[in-house]
Amino acid sequence: MKTYETSPSFAIAKKSRVPLTEIDARSTDASRKLGRVFGISTGRPLQTSTFSSAL
Amino acid sequence: MSVILHGGEPLLAGPARLRRVCEELTAALNGIAELDLRIHTNGVQLSPRYLDLFDEFDVKVGISLDGDRAANDRHRRFANGRTSHPLVLKAVELLRQERYRHLDLGLLCTIDIENDPHTVLDALVELDPPLIDFLLPHATWDDPPPRPNGSETAYAEWLLKVHDRWRDLGSPVPVRLFSSVLSTLGGGPSLTESLGLAPTDLVVVETDGQLEQVDSLKSAYEGAAATGFNVFAHSFDDVAAHPGVRARQLGLAGVSGTCRDCPVVRSCGGGLYTHRFSSADGFDNPSVYCRDLEALVRGIEARAEVPPSVTDHAELTYAQQDLTRTLLARLHADLDGRGGARWEEAWQLAGVLESSEQGAAGLDHVLSHPYTRTWLLETLEGLHAGRADAVDEALRLRACAAAAAVRSGLELDAGADYRDGLLHLPTLGELRLGGAGEHGTVQLRTGEGVVVIRRDDGAGEWCVRHGEDTPGWKPVRHLGQGGVPPFALDDLDPYRDCFAAPASSRLGPADADEWEAGLAEAWALLEREAPSHARVVAGSLTTLTPLATGRHTERRHGYGAIGLTSANDAKRLALELLGGFRRTTLRALLEVTDLYAADGAWVYHPLWQDGVVPFSRLLAETHERVALATLDPCYMGGVEEALDMMDSAAEPTLAGRRIISVLRNEVKQTRDKWAE
Repeated sequence: MKTYETSPSFAIAKKSRVPLTEIDARSTDASRKLGRVFGISTGRPLQTSTFSSAL
Repeated sequence: MSVILHGGEPLLAGPARLRRVCEELTAALNGIAELDLRIHTNGVQLSPRYLDLFDEFDVKVGISLDGDRAANDRHRRFANGRTSHPLVLKAVELLRQERYRHLDLGLLCTIDIENDPHTVLDALVELDPPLIDFLLPHATWDDPPPRPNGSETAYAEWLLKVHDRWRDLGSPVPVRLFSSVLSTLGGGPSLTESLGLAPTDLVVVETDGQLEQVDSLKSAYEGAAATGFNVFAHSFDDVAAHPGVRARQLGLAGVSGTCRDCPVVRSCGGGLYTHRFSSADGFDNPSVYCRDLEALVRGIEARAEVPPSVTDHAELTYAQQDLTRTLLARLHADLDGRGGARWEEAWQLAGVLESSEQGAAGLDHVLSHPYTRTWLLETLEGLHAGRADAVDEALRLRACAAAAAVRSGLELDAGADYRDGLLHLPTLGELRLGGAGEHGTVQLRTGEGVVVIRRDDGAGEWCVRHGEDTPGWKPVRHLGQGGVPPFALDDLDPYRDCFAAPASSRLGPADADEWEAGLAEAWALLEREAPSHARVVAGSLTTLTPLATGRHTERRHGYGAIGLTSANDAKRLALELLGGFRRTTLRALLEVTDLYAADGAWVYHPLWQDGVVPFSRLLAETHERVALATLDPCYMGGVEEALDMMDSAAEPTLAGRRIISVLRNEVKQTRDKWAE
């Protein structure tokens, strides 16, 4: 059996990605992503009005 | 707390009275709740006098406008028949001025299907509002809406024409109705009380102090909105306990029996409560717009785009990589300096690696490793739970960055820690550089095909060359012979214990050879019997972890790892490979998108077992069985019935429905295969 791989089988990320050091890990978008796998409190939930007769 | 000044026409109260209302509300809620104060007006009287007042109290303004002049004049003329349209346009123009723009909520349009849908949308979009919404005209089963052409889906057809025009224009402004349907189709909440199952927590305070339910109920019958409560003798809690209000909080239990069995109920929610009324059954009916709502939801569903990760494994891998990177960035943020110089050094090395293509490839490889996810999740959870060893656990980043540097082949220096005499470099292997119980730090000097590792206490130096044996070095083995993809056979990673059986310890050479031979046979079987599945597995699976016997609690890991128990039974191994891959794929998908919502609200009885299961389990088991059926037709039993159940279920999101459609195609191919 080989003790090293001859070709990378892992994914190569897209080039347009944000560098690690520039990811805002507390942004709404990041919290939404992380909230799917990790319980993150984003503070008091805000619910907008659902009254249909007004905006 | 949202307070909406509504009418009639609230501007008729005049600026002085509105000022008092704003002052009272602001003072009453000061320090208790954030006040979201709004007003909804026909705009006819809106002037700087009002808008200066609204600016002072941050009162947001929504305006009713039914489209172009012809559309608006249909229902919004003065008593003398004069048009109000120019005055409304003037109000919108005023609100769009720089000084008032922050108060602008947008335009609310009541539908009249006699109006041309494109002209209506164009007229609204031209005014550049921040939001548009369309309202179905109030109607009940006793007083149904006009349908001039007799179509039972006339309102859906009108709205879908608006939708298509809106899409053609590049969706220039959010439309609440469409956003709500797209949200619920995607598994999210509804955004308006007229759609979806989200609880409605509204109370109307009339000008005489009466507390009532939403005013639209008045369209149902005289007194329908009444609660019998008023602000002088009752509290909002009293209103909240009123049966009529409670009925609006029940979600699925609050809709009619017909609606509860309908696949679009999560999106339409039975429609606006008022529109359900008939004098025969009260509100226990579908909406009088039922066919319209169904056609609208189905129409938007047919036009909506599915997240690319659902149908493209490369996109799923990218989404997973993005998730891992975001988790790492979050760990960095949450450590907030507690990782000290050792963390900073590794974090900076990761940044250096990212700045070159080779370095980024090395880092991607290590971060994509499924057990890197396990480490990140457990460390973050430990950190948030205040676990004492969490910061220490976070420092595994040093080993990850060092492994990435080795993989890059670049000439770099990296620090790492060894524990119990072992240095583990994720995805690469493990070096014995001390005795059990010994802990310390090392420096690595990486280069093309080689890494030199030196203990910081000067007690030893090791040179590990790519593909060569080094005393004390145990590499992660890889397959890749005889057409088998180069999967890692990871029996070293300290976080690999993720499966239903415990991970086996490091395999001896004979055991490793046995696994290699068994996997070659299993892979040949998979390629022969399920070539399309084999191609996907080859492109997405990365890591196989041998398991020992016994039971174990499963832990989470990233996309692309499976545990295998059987080394020498080709068919069983092929089934484990394929079944494991389907499980890791479904889990990975669920981590980046919603495939269903309201799981558990309904139950299903798959034919392959006794008892009922929630949708999530029906989907997971069907997803696995459909693949396994390519290897053994016994797994075909019940899958078509399961797909039928899922097709008519309300839980699947847009993405979930796409998965079901893909599964149906797979079943068809498998049926054809076994029929040959």
